Amino acid sequence: MAGTLTPERTPRRLCELSADARAAVLLDAAGAPAGCHGVAPARSRDLAQLARTTFEAVDRAHRDIPGGPPEQVEIQVDRGTVYASRTPTWTLAVVARRTALSSLMLMDLRAVLGELEGGTPIRRSTAAAAAAATGAEATEEAAARESPVPELGVEEL
Amino acid sequence: MREKRKGPIGRAAGLAEGVAATVRRMQREREPRVLVYDETGYARLVQPDGRGHERLLQTAERMVELVDESEIEAKPRRQRARRAAPDGGAE
Repeated sequence: MAGTLTPERTPRRLCELSADARAAVLLDAAGAPAGCHGVAPARSRDLAQLARTTFEAVDRAHRDIPGGPPEQVEIQVDRGTVYASRTPTWTLAVVARRTALSSLMLMDLRAVLGELEGGTPIRRSTAAAAAAATGAEATEEAAARESPVPELGVEEL
Repeated sequence: MREKRKGPIGRAAGLAEGVAATVRRMQREREPRVLVYDETGYARLVQPDGRGHERLLQTAERMVELVDESEIEAKPRRQRARRAAPDGGAE
């Protein structure tokens, strides 16, 4: 089906959603890299290994922390922030700029993983000005996708 | 009751307090930290002396370095590609 998110495309999808995401890597349940974006192919294996190490260290740290098993982690260092999120099937880690908003980045991680697992596709909007510039033909189908607030543009699936 | 008006010294002191608070907040925000979230989204701070804290920071620093190195390597390639482009390289 067109538009279905594949594991290979998932890291790129996350980086497209957020301007603060610099690179991302997706691991499968066995910890093997399933997709990578933002680093040279020669370095993608190293990034995957580091993402795997992150959750190993999180699980070790969790023994001292009350509450359920961690599902997401946020690590702020001098020159950036690393966010990672996991489900029973996938682990997605992203290297972001320090300016990234934690709540938005964690939400994007959850949304992208949800979409990968067959959940609701993420709806993105095009600015009204950009939509007008493309000169899209006015059809009933296009009208059905129009936002109830025209100033906000049309929604993309 | 109406608040007593501040004089020039009081206003300057208030301004200095505000600047100091901003600097303190910015320093606090820059400090390395590790947060873990459970499935409900509840955040917990991994204490600096906690198990795994140091390793998590080192791993994250290495990940950021890796992306930095990758971008530095990619830049000359992009510049060469732009120079080679017949229209002057506008992307």
